[in-house]
Amino acid sequence: MEALELRDVRKSYGDREAVHGISLTVHEGEIFGLIGHNGAGKTTTLRMISTLLTITGGSISVFGHDVATEPEEVRRIISYLPEDAGAYRDLTGRAYLNFMAGFFASGQEKEEMVAKGIELADLGERIDSKVDTYSKGMMRRLLIARAIMPNPKLAIMDEVTSGLDVINSYEIREVIRGIAKSGVTVIMSSHNMFEVDMLCDRVGMIDQGNLILLGKPADLKAESGADTLEEVFVRAVKG
Amino acid sequence: MSHITSIMKKEIREMLTPGSVASIIVMVVLFAGLGLMINGEVEKASTLPTIGIVADEDSSYYDYEYTDAEGNVHKDSWNPVKYLQYLYSDSADKIVVMSSSTSSSDEEIVAEMEEKGIASVVVFPSASEFMASIEAGESVDVRQLYLYEPTGMFGTVSTSAVSLVLSYANSNLSSILILEGGYTNYEFVTNPVTYSTASTGTYVNGTIQYNISPDSITNAVTSQTMMIPLVIMIIIMMVGSIVISSMGSEKENKTLETLLTLPIKRTTIVAGKIVAAAIVGLVYGLAYMVGMSIYMGSMTSMYTSTGTSVDLASIGMALDLTDWLLVLVSMFFAIVCALGICMILGAFSKNYKSAQTMTMPLSILAMIPMFVIMFSGWYGSGSMLQAVCFIIPFSHPMMAMQALMYGDVTLVLEGIAYMAVFALATILITVKLYNSDILITGLGQNKYYQRLTGRK
Repeated sequence: MEALELRDVRKSYGDREAVHGISLTVHEGEIFGLIGHNGAGKTTTLRMISTLLTITGGSISVFGHDVATEPEEVRRIISYLPEDAGAYRDLTGRAYLNFMAGFFASGQEKEEMVAKGIELADLGERIDSKVDTYSKGMMRRLLIARAIMPNPKLAIMDEVTSGLDVINSYEIREVIRGIAKSGVTVIMSSHNMFEVDMLCDRVGMIDQGNLILLGKPADLKAESGADTLEEVFVRAVKG
Repeated sequence: MSHITSIMKKEIREMLTPGSVASIIVMVVLFAGLGLMINGEVEKASTLPTIGIVADEDSSYYDYEYTDAEGNVHKDSWNPVKYLQYLYSDSADKIVVMSSSTSSSDEEIVAEMEEKGIASVVVFPSASEFMASIEAGESVDVRQLYLYEPTGMFGTVSTSAVSLVLSYANSNLSSILILEGGYTNYEFVTNPVTYSTASTGTYVNGTIQYNISPDSITNAVTSQTMMIPLVIMIIIMMVGSIVISSMGSEKENKTLETLLTLPIKRTTIVAGKIVAAAIVGLVYGLAYMVGMSIYMGSMTSMYTSTGTSVDLASIGMALDLTDWLLVLVSMFFAIVCALGICMILGAFSKNYKSAQTMTMPLSILAMIPMFVIMFSGWYGSGSMLQAVCFIIPFSHPMMAMQALMYGDVTLVLEGIAYMAVFALATILITVKLYNSDILITGLGQNKYYQRLTGRK
């Protein structure tokens, strides 16, 4: 069974169509990258996969569950991390993880989930500080920990390293690699072609709501005779 | 200077949003409407009231002689009916000679008042009794009977208007006694007709209460309930602001998106938010009510010490435990309705700041019934205003206390039933919104909004 299947997925906002029939498949255990410029339709696509937005046309299935007809089953096996997401500011990091774990487990299982979250966040003593005292990097680590601790089958991450410094970005990429090694399928969006090149097994390039390229980074580069994914993208868009 | 101008322009542009401009316009309209309403109430109160009179219409209440300019002596007589008809010569239909006689019991007179819809009646003694007292140099007490009508802030004026009419009658007879009667007893001759609260009977809750005037009842009711609409309005606005701000900050911090992808039903999220805010709202409400009861206690003792108080319990108008429970239930449902409206409004907010603007419609909805009920009262308002108030759910707890004092349980129960339906409708709409894109995309991406504004 494929982890994720998009078949001719369309999304309209009023009379404007933002996504024009995207079809792609993400295999289990894969890190899949969606790349494209601002407003290309990446976030809309990720939100449709996450059951946040309704689909205007086509279908999406996550591990065999249709997002339109079985949204609650889909929500049980996914974890979505929005771009620039935040946490409840008057909670401590530990209390936030505890609050979130309560939606997935109870008793001993919940305790273990929180312990895993604290380990993933790797915030040391600051896990007991209020969230509103965290730096952007710390916040992102906490949120990734929150997203991963319930052992989702599919992790959906939107611009996960945007706005972070080199060290924080590197550490978060390491966390994502670790997640994938443990069997979690990851679909992520990014502007950072270098990051996608290093991290993703396969990529899909979106431009103006259309999927214009799909494949392994190395294959895409070879096919277009480019040295970097950035070049591949620019050539594909500008022709 | 130009820098200041640039900064000022930017600030004004930011402050004068369509929402804030609309709120200014609404405030102007609201206060203008209020002014017109007060004006109407004052005008209504200042015109001569319709008065019924019970007296021996064809008998003389006082015979006297007077000499005209040519020295001719004339015989004449004074009759209260004739005098009041003369006084009301410009609006003859406002003076009604009752078919009850001076020997009728108060119950019979009240029955006729109810039948004819006359709220105030002056009852003179029989002509022979009156004349005997006057000739003996004793003042005559004229009784006043009222049907108690619950009205607004200015609804008590009719009592003083009746007193005014009686004072005219007194002055008229007094001048006759001084000029033609030759009386010299100052006390008597200046007050041949007396009228006081002691000789006043007010028909309220099925019995005639003596020594109580309608305005003293209204004063007692008003002193206990006047602040209620204000308190309810504050609670509604406070609770509404909490929920809308919570929605706004969830959107701003992007915690809402995370919440919506958790494996929980949307109805659970909506219910959790509403119940939590309702609990906080009730805590606010109870705290305010405790404060109010202390305030009311001190007001009541102040009235008692000045001797103008009416013990509402003695005339069957005090609230019992069931009534208080009904007030609380009414308040609870109003809070749930407010929360339902706020959840809907909050769904359209983009961030914390826009959420603050979103509280405006709720504030207006809470202010309209507050002004109407404080100034005109539910019972003093016309059917149009009553309809407006009934539709706005927050009116119901505002008027519940007064309605229960007047024994109008039906109005309170109807209000609660209406609010229950209203709350359910808003919750269903909220769940529907939580299942739609609007919560994430806002109104800007909605096709109807796009068609309306021409924006894409």
